[in-house]
Formats: sequence, C-alpha cells, structure tokens
Amino acid sequence: MSEHAEILPGTLDLLILKAVSLGAVHGYGVLLRIQEISGGAIAIQQGALYPALYRLEHRGLIESEWGRSDNNRRAKFYRLTGSGREHFVEEEAGWRRLADAMSLALAAETREVES
Amino acid sequence: MTGPPPRPPFHRRAMAWCRSMVDGLLRRNRIEADMREEFRTHIEMRTDDLVARGMSQAEASRRAHVEFGHVESHRAAARAARGLRWVDRLRFSWVDVRLGLRMMVKHPGLTLVAMVALALGIPTGMAPMHLAEALDRPLPEDSGNRIRTVRFWDPASGVMTLPTEGDLEILFDESSSFESLGAFRNGAFNLASPDGRAASVPGAEVTAAALAMLEVAPLMGRLLDSEDERPGGTDVVLLGHDVWTSRFGGDPEVVGSTVLVGRTPHTVVGVMPEGFFFPFRDQLWVPLRRSPATGPGEGPPLRVVARLADGVTTDEAHAEVSRIRLPDTHPANRGPSRLALEVVPFSYMYVGLPRGGFGALPEFHFMRLLGGLLLLVACANVAMLVFARTATRFRELAVRTALGAGRSRIVSQVFVETLVLAVCSAGAGLLVVDVAIRRVPWEVMAGSSILPYWVDLGVPMSVLPWAALFTVMSATVAGVVPALRITRGDIHGNIRAADSGRSGVRFGGVTGALIVADVALAVGVIGFAVGITGYLNELADSDLRVGVPAEEFLAVELRRSMNETPALGEAAASSQSFGAVQERLRERLASEAGVRAAVFADALPRMNHRSRLVRVDGPDRDDASARWVRVARVDVDFFSQLRQPILAGRDFDRGDIDGDVRPVIVNARFVEEMIGGEGAVGRRIRLVSSAESTDDPWHEIVGVVGRLGMNTVSRNGSPGVYFVEPAGSIHPVQLGVHVGIGPEEFAPRLREIVSETDPSVIVGTPVVLGEVQQGDWYVAVGITAAMSLLVGILIALAASGIYAIVSFSVSERTREIGIRSALGASRTTLAYTILRRALAQLGLGALFGIPLAAWLLLQLQDPDAERGAMLATIARSVALGLGTVGLVGLVSCVAPARRALAIDANDALRAE
Repeated sequence: MSEHAEILPGTLDLLILKAVSLGAVHGYGVLLRIQEISGGAIAIQQGALYPALYRLEHRGLIESEWGRSDNNRRAKFYRLTGSGREHFVEEEAGWRRLADAMSLALAAETREVES
Repeated sequence: MTGPPPRPPFHRRAMAWCRSMVDGLLRRNRIEADMREEFRTHIEMRTDDLVARGMSQAEASRRAHVEFGHVESHRAAARAARGLRWVDRLRFSWVDVRLGLRMMVKHPGLTLVAMVALALGIPTGMAPMHLAEALDRPLPEDSGNRIRTVRFWDPASGVMTLPTEGDLEILFDESSSFESLGAFRNGAFNLASPDGRAASVPGAEVTAAALAMLEVAPLMGRLLDSEDERPGGTDVVLLGHDVWTSRFGGDPEVVGSTVLVGRTPHTVVGVMPEGFFFPFRDQLWVPLRRSPATGPGEGPPLRVVARLADGVTTDEAHAEVSRIRLPDTHPANRGPSRLALEVVPFSYMYVGLPRGGFGALPEFHFMRLLGGLLLLVACANVAMLVFARTATRFRELAVRTALGAGRSRIVSQVFVETLVLAVCSAGAGLLVVDVAIRRVPWEVMAGSSILPYWVDLGVPMSVLPWAALFTVMSATVAGVVPALRITRGDIHGNIRAADSGRSGVRFGGVTGALIVADVALAVGVIGFAVGITGYLNELADSDLRVGVPAEEFLAVELRRSMNETPALGEAAASSQSFGAVQERLRERLASEAGVRAAVFADALPRMNHRSRLVRVDGPDRDDASARWVRVARVDVDFFSQLRQPILAGRDFDRGDIDGDVRPVIVNARFVEEMIGGEGAVGRRIRLVSSAESTDDPWHEIVGVVGRLGMNTVSRNGSPGVYFVEPAGSIHPVQLGVHVGIGPEEFAPRLREIVSETDPSVIVGTPVVLGEVQQGDWYVAVGITAAMSLLVGILIALAASGIYAIVSFSVSERTREIGIRSALGASRTTLAYTILRRALAQLGLGALFGIPLAAWLLLQLQDPDAERGAMLATIARSVALGLGTVGLVGLVSCVAPARRALAIDANDALRAE
C-alpha cells in the first residue's frame, strides 16, 4: 500500500482553498503547501491541480495575479476572494462534522451497538 | 452533517461566471498563452527542485514532465473547468477563415455558382424587409422621430382621406399631444427666372409651423412666419437651394428681390439649405393661407404635419385624436363606413400604409415568405455543393476524427468555410443591389420624382444586421446540415470507407428530388419567361398601333400654377378662365402652320388611363356586373380631331356638354366584353364609387369607337369609356398636337404659343406621344425585369445542383472509372456512365417542367387567340426553356466529365 493517502472525490477543492487561505501562492506552491500541511501524506497528480484552480477561479472563489516567485520566475499567484473565504469556512466546518462523525462511527465497539 | 454547505450568494457567482466567460470569449488567446506559461513555470520549478536534490538536469526535466502528466489533456480539462467547452466546440478561428478562402480558390466553379445563387438569394430574401425599412423611415430632419401626420383612414377599404382646413381647427382646439401642428399642400408653381423664362417648380403651400418644427435654419434670409399666412398680406416665397442655384445662378442678393410665381409677384424671403426638400421633393414654399371660418370637414383638403409633445408617444397621441367627436354632418360620418382620425408616422402620408405599418399588411408577409423560400432553395442548392465538396474531403475528416477532433469541431469548421462563402456572396449581392439602385437613373427613366426625398433605396448600414442574420442562416443551412450528415456514423467505418477511396456518402432521395424540382421549375419559368418576352415583343410591335399615328403627335401637360388654383366657390369661374385659355390655344394652334389637329384630354392614347368600376344598365345585367374599365375625360372635338371613325351611333357634339349628365362613347372592346357585342347605343352605364352610393348618375352611350391606346399592355386593348367634358374642367390637361413627322422640333414653338396665350400656365415637358412611357409600360418592363431576375436565379440554382451531383459522382468513382478505362471502355461509354445520373435528373425535371411552363403560358394567353397559334407559342417557349436548361446542364457537366475522362487508369489503380 502507498504511503500517500488517496484524496477523496471533491476534497481537492477544499485542500486548494486551505492552501491558498494561508497566503498568496503560485500553482506549484499550492502543491508543495498541500504536501507540507498534510505531512507529505497527500500527493496530487501535478497537472490535475490546474483544472481545479481554474474551476475555483471561474466560480469566483479565488483570484489570480502574475508576480515573481522566490527564485525570480514569473508565476501566477492565487489568493482567496471574500466569497472564497466564506465558502472555505463553511466547507471546512462541514468537513469537520463529517470527519468527526466518521471517526465516531469507525471507533464504535460491538457492545455499544448491542446496547 | 446536515447536508451540503450553502453556496455563495447567486449574484456573486453570476458575476464571477460572467467575468470568466467574457474573459474566455474576448481574451481567449491571452488565456491560452497564460495557461501555457503557467504549466511551463510549474515544470521548470519542479525541475529546479529535483536538480537541487541532486538529479541531473536532463533526468530532472524528464521526471518533472512525467509527474505533470499529459499537458494537452490538462489544458483541455482546464478549459472545460473555465466553462469554455462550448466555445471550444464552436471555435471560430482565423485558421478556419483562411481555410474557407483557400477552399473558395481551390474550387472556383463551385465558388462561382454558389456565390451567384447566394448573391441573388440573400438580397431577395432581405428585399421585403429592406423595402419596408426604407419606406418606413423618419424624415432626415427629424432626429427625435417625433414628426407625425394626422389623416382619415378607412380600415375597410384601406383608403386614406385628407383632413380639410376646417378639420385642422378641431385638431388645434382639441388635441394637446402635439407640440406644434402644421399643414401643407403640394403642387407645382410656375416660377419666372430673372431672364423672364417661366418653368414649373415642385413646391408647397405650407404653414409657418410646419417648416419651423423641422428645425432647419435657412441658408439665407428667414423661414416663413405666421404673419405671412394672413390673407391679404404680402406675397412671399421661400426658395430651395437647387432652384436658387439653377434658376437664379446662386445670386447672393436674391433675398428681398421680387419674382413672378404664376402671374403674381412674390418677395423672396429666404433660401433653404442644400438637401432640404420637405415635404416630398419640393423646392419652393409659399405660405398656406386658409379660407376664413370654415367648419369641420369644410374647406380644401390639406396634409397635416404634427410634432409630438415631449414624452408623448404616437399611441397616446392617436388615442387622444381618435376620441375627437366629429359632427354628424362631417363627411367622415356620412360615407358607408365611418372614417377614423389617425396619428401615424409622417412617411405613411405618401406610402399609404395602415396604422400598423408593413406588419399589418398580409401581402407584406406573403412577400417575405416568398423571398425566404427563394433563399431557402438557394441555400439548399449551395448545401448540396458544400455537401459534395465536403464529401471529397471525407478521408481527411475521418482521420481528424480518429485523432481526437470532435464532431462539433469539424461541423464548426465546415460552417466557417461556408460562412466565408456566404459573406462574400452576400457582400457581392448587396453591392450589386446598391449600385443598381444608386447608379441607374430611375428618376430620369420615370420622367419625374417618383419617391419622396427621405426614401433612399440604396443599402444603408441599418440593413447590415439583417444581412448578417440572413448570411449566418444561409451558412447554417448550407454548411452545418451537410457537415452533420457527412460526420455521422462510427469512426472505424468511416476510416474503412475512406481507405477504399469512397466516402460512403450518397446523395439521398431528398437532394435528388430537390434537383429535379429545380430543373422542373427552371424549365417552367424559363419557358414562361420566353413566352412573356415574345408576348411583350408583340406588344412592342402593336404598341404604336393605338389608333393614331402616335409618332406624329406632340403631347404636353398644362396646369394652372398652384397659387392660382381657385379658392372654394371660385372653381366654376376658374375653370371657365382655364377653359377660355384652352379655347384660345385651340384657335392659335389651328392657325399655326403644320398643325393638323389639337386635342385635350386627361389622358391621350398610349398614356396611363385611370381604371374605374363601371356597371351597365339593362334587363339582363344585374348589379354584380360591375367591372374595371379604363376611362378618359376628353373634349368635345376629341374624336373628330383624331379623325376616329364612329363605328356606331354618333360623335359628341356641343349640346352634350350643356346637360348635367353627359353622354359617353365607349370603345369596341367595351361593347364586346360588357354588352355582348351589339346594341350598345342607347344603353346606360354608371361609374361605381367605392362608397357604393346611388348618387352616381347614369350616362347614356351615344357612340362606339375603335381601339385608341387605353392600355398598351393588353394586345386587344381594354374596355374603355370616354366622358365628354367642357373646356377647362379637366385639370391638369394633356394637350396633344398632331404636327406630322419630327414633332419634337415643334416643342419650342408650342411652349412659345402657350406662354403667349397665358404666361401663368405651367407647361410640362413636351414628349412625342409615340415615346410616352407610363403606367402600363412600366408594368410590362417590371414584369420583364422580374422574369429575367427569376430566370437568372433559377438557371444559377439548377446549374449549381447539376454541377454538384456530377462533380461529386466523378470524385466518388475515380477508381471505377480507372478500372473501366483500363478494361478498354470507350470515352463515350465512360462519359455516359459519369453523366447518367445527372441526365436522368435533367430528364425527369424537364418532364415535370413542360406542363408547368404550358400551364403558366395558358394563364397568359388570350382565350380568344387562335388555338394553333397558342400551341405554337407554347411549344416554342417550352422548347427554348428545355434548350436553355439542357445547355446549362451540359455546361455544368463538362468540367467534372473532363476531369473524369482525364483520369489515368494506372494512376487510379495504383492509388488503390
């Protein structure tokens, strides 16, 4: 089994919003930041990141601007919009509720069910 | 978890979506470039990272590319994520346009035929709309589109009646929808130049308010003012720019000078700027002086012009005006149907449209349908051509499909190619129409100003959106439909078919039927057109056989100057004075050397005679027998001066003009058609007015004359009635002078004689009677022109259809032709093989076309014509129609057949 976790369908957008919410970042940086904040557990197919970025931009959740990277390369930087921030907060809360419910469900013992 | 999280507010999403779409559509290339750069940056950054971890540059770059994945797939997914998938599908790129232009050059025959078909079809389809727009246009001076007219309208008969001076008072008093109200009357004025020469100038009696509401400042001097309208005031005149330059040499001192209008001296108060022709094509304006104290419906008729008050719509003004109660004694309330006051756009005053405009006319919708149908037929034919052309590229399309090009992409490419063709065709068509309208001297041909100054039939910018719509529609029918048909089916099957050198595409039954219908229609209409042309030629021959030696007659119109038109109550005195002028003229002309006769009538032979409904009295004739006949009002000596034999009864005499109800003379055709051939003298006839009143008096027939050129389009002439009138009561009157050979040389002398007799009489342009081209003549020319156009379109369409099938059939059967040729088939056999299908369709089309042509011609033929001659005409016309279509068909076949016969057997087989 791979050491990387498979990402669930629909969670890529949330991960990108999280990465971008931590500060303006370019596409490759989004990838590195997700790896970093997930402790290297989540790996994304690199090219697949961009359709997701464009979809979020199309929906007005993030916006982009060309700038210079640390090593002085021209790169497109993404940042969260107001609407994106609201959306992220709601999505995050929803995800936490789901994760808690999943953890609780998976931690259940036989006797708890019988009682 | 209670469900999906709420989405951002709709307006934010919608705004973001719109911005993204607009960017995607308008900044498409920029977005693509950004995407490429972003992907490249990503791969380079990853490469740098890997190099930093100790990997070689080459290995790091390879690894970074692998990790990134298939760039094209990600790019397509990214485009789709931006919502641009449908834009991609219908992508319009310059590459497609260039390809379209290349295809036009590569297939010149197809391009030419398709262009002719569309260049004729698109303007024809647009014509009704264009005409409606040109005629239904505000005055050029009316930038706010607020100038309207008020009229009486009879919805039952569609007849417009003018309000009178008395009605104007009611409008002044009872309407508040108008900022200002004015009135005018058009007419002709005899204006004397400084050199003393008088000539007719189109002009108008107009109120100061009517001129002022146009807000056009005079070039010199002032406009007319309300003080000028006061009866008994100084006579003043405002000149148009054209008259000022042509008749007064652009004299800067003209304002304040005195000129003779009719017999009255007028002071020039101003000159209007160039291009000012209000209200029709006028160049002279005098104040409209109204009769004092006239009641509703009384006084002379006039045309009302009104400017809507600020913020008032036409409908609101109309609602107010239509509420005005007219007294029961008003003429509008006395007719068979109650007339209603209406507020309509100013242009309707001359065009005579109902209040709803063109949209309210069923005929307009019919014309639009007809134009649309013709365009559809043209498009269907071009579709066949595009179909054939696309089919020859079947292999290319199949391979592109296999390489990932979507069906929609291929369809959009073929659409753009066809659009290029359609745009070029529409452009060429509109250019031809525009040149034809602007360059051909229609007005000179018509002999007078036939259209108001605000009507410009040239192609204006406002027509371009319509043209664009029709062009896109044409390209859709002609491009998308065949492309969809070609690209249907599975890829593998298509590639297999393409590998075998065939497209697997067939002209189906519908296309075959279309070609047969085209050919049939072409044979039918060409046959009909040939018949018509022959018929018109015969008419041209018989044109001068109008009972008088028309080429020896000089005709000229005489009228009183408009400012000397009698006021109410003075009509009798005025007609007596005009009659006295007429009598003096007759005497002068009788004593003039070389003049053999002089006649007065409202229409001379060969001229356009009015049509009126006439009913014959009699025991076996009921009231339903009323028929349209031509009528003329003539002077008492008309027939004797023209040396016309009276076939039955007697000629008019002086005693006939004394009574209130005067006798009439009818022509022989009238006796044949209306009275059954004999016993006309003593019978009575009555004119039937549209208002079906019993007031029309009965007139007794006292004589019968032969044919006298009342309708030159009908070979046997029309039934006609001559009413005798006392001298002076016909106004304007046509004077016909019989002077023998070369009558045009007598024209200057005739002008002199009229001028010496009475200088105030307006003399029209003298014309030789044999050269008169009026009403009927224009009908004949119009039919011929329309026929020629239709024949041209049909020939182009039939040719395009035939060309398409033969061309396609050759390209499809290259291999078969090669094998046949290798097996020793003769060129004749090969040619027959190639052309068999086209010939079959031509034959079938002709088979249907012959009865169509014959039927059309039978409608045209005179039922009394000799049967043998009629059949001969039909046979000749049909033969010519068949010959023309056959020739066109064969010419269309030549190029593809030559191409087929040039196929080398070895090459064809090697290609396999």
